[in-house]
Amino acid sequence: MKPFEYFEPRTVGEATEILSNYGEKAQILSGGVDLIPRMQKSDIQAEYVVNIQKISGLEYIEPDEKEGITFGAMSRLRSIEVSKTIQNKYPILYEAIHQITSVQAKYMGTAVGNLCVATPASDVATSLFALGAQLKITGLKGERIEPIEKFYVDYRLTSLKRGEMVTEVVLPNPLPGTGTAFFNLVRTHADIAKISAAAAILVQNGICREVRIAIGAAAPTVFRAVKAETLFTGQKITPEVMNEAAETAAGETKPITDLRSTARYRKEMARVLVRRALEKALERATG
Amino acid sequence: MVKKEIVSFKINGRSYEVIVTPNMTLYELLKEQLDLTGTKRSCGVGECGSCTVLVDGNPTLACSTLAIAVRDKEILTIEGLAKGAQLHPLQQAFVDEGAIQCGFCTPGMIMMAKALLDENPQPTRQEVREGLGGNLCRCTGYVKIIDAVLAAAETMRKGGSQ
Repeated sequence: MKPFEYFEPRTVGEATEILSNYGEKAQILSGGVDLIPRMQKSDIQAEYVVNIQKISGLEYIEPDEKEGITFGAMSRLRSIEVSKTIQNKYPILYEAIHQITSVQAKYMGTAVGNLCVATPASDVATSLFALGAQLKITGLKGERIEPIEKFYVDYRLTSLKRGEMVTEVVLPNPLPGTGTAFFNLVRTHADIAKISAAAAILVQNGICREVRIAIGAAAPTVFRAVKAETLFTGQKITPEVMNEAAETAAGETKPITDLRSTARYRKEMARVLVRRALEKALERATG
Repeated sequence: MVKKEIVSFKINGRSYEVIVTPNMTLYELLKEQLDLTGTKRSCGVGECGSCTVLVDGNPTLACSTLAIAVRDKEILTIEGLAKGAQLHPLQQAFVDEGAIQCGFCTPGMIMMAKALLDENPQPTRQEVREGLGGNLCRCTGYVKIIDAVLAAAETMRKGGSQ
């Protein structure tokens, strides 16, 4: 690994100041599962490494009556996975984390770190899109809250500006009558997804009042299939409408061909997974 | 400026003072500075689990951890398990069950299994499989490894040594 200068800030304020001073030459170290191997391979050249592990008050999972739940930048994937509140209120976040096989990576890695890597194949991000997550971003001049869709700009590119870091994830309370589902396809669960989809449906009297459809690994970023959502909202839920929504969602993908899948396969499977996710979300909403 | 500094580490209950640079991984510290060669590096990118050690009891990939970041933590490696000539029940079970082929994945398997049993002393076979999900054995010996972990769990529950 190439040499770098190392910082261990004790407060978010100190961290943002260092990040602001060094801009793109600085990298945040949280769990390290992505950063350290990539620095060893020289995929990432960091002249300054800012370890945020020693900042107190960033590792928590807190229920909040109004907001649902919040967790901090240093909350490990493992803590989120085993949290009963997460399992009960946000089962798809649990499912997306649980199917990651490396227990070590989950003890080390943080959900926020996973989001900040900004890979379109993040299962955690796909489930958080469907859950309507918001990110609290802290910089030198204070905080801003951003919906997760706005955070992703392009492949491995986020909306973070110089000196900013994500400090918290806020999950809204699911409205009564909401069902959610997450599916992915993988070569093996030790690998990242070929394609993934998550859905959240709010159903009242058989009518879809609100829906979020998220697709991962089928475009430069995880994204919401907005056209399919518009088509679905306000409709009486029938197999035909679900098929049409899945077809539309697949049409919104912009997949690539790589070693895991061809673009054509990804597009076809996006349709299948969205259909499955809508069905299962509906089942959970009404069951 | 890249600084070298003298840092103290607590490893297997012993204190060490080592000159480190920030870019030294925990694996490099153990292997190259302290001659604790039991921890193995196979993939070197955090995918195979061979380099698993415990940091404050949490299973940690030594190849993907900066040494300097764990300076104030309790580190346990495979060398810290046996008490003199008395093997830890997990080590004994790996021997008894024939769970070792080439042996390169074994220290990581055992350290991960220790973390698993510390948290869940009575795991099901499925829980052991999931617990070892991040540890690869390229000799394809998983069945006996799982048998060994379950056998060790039983020994430990009966108050077997350690």
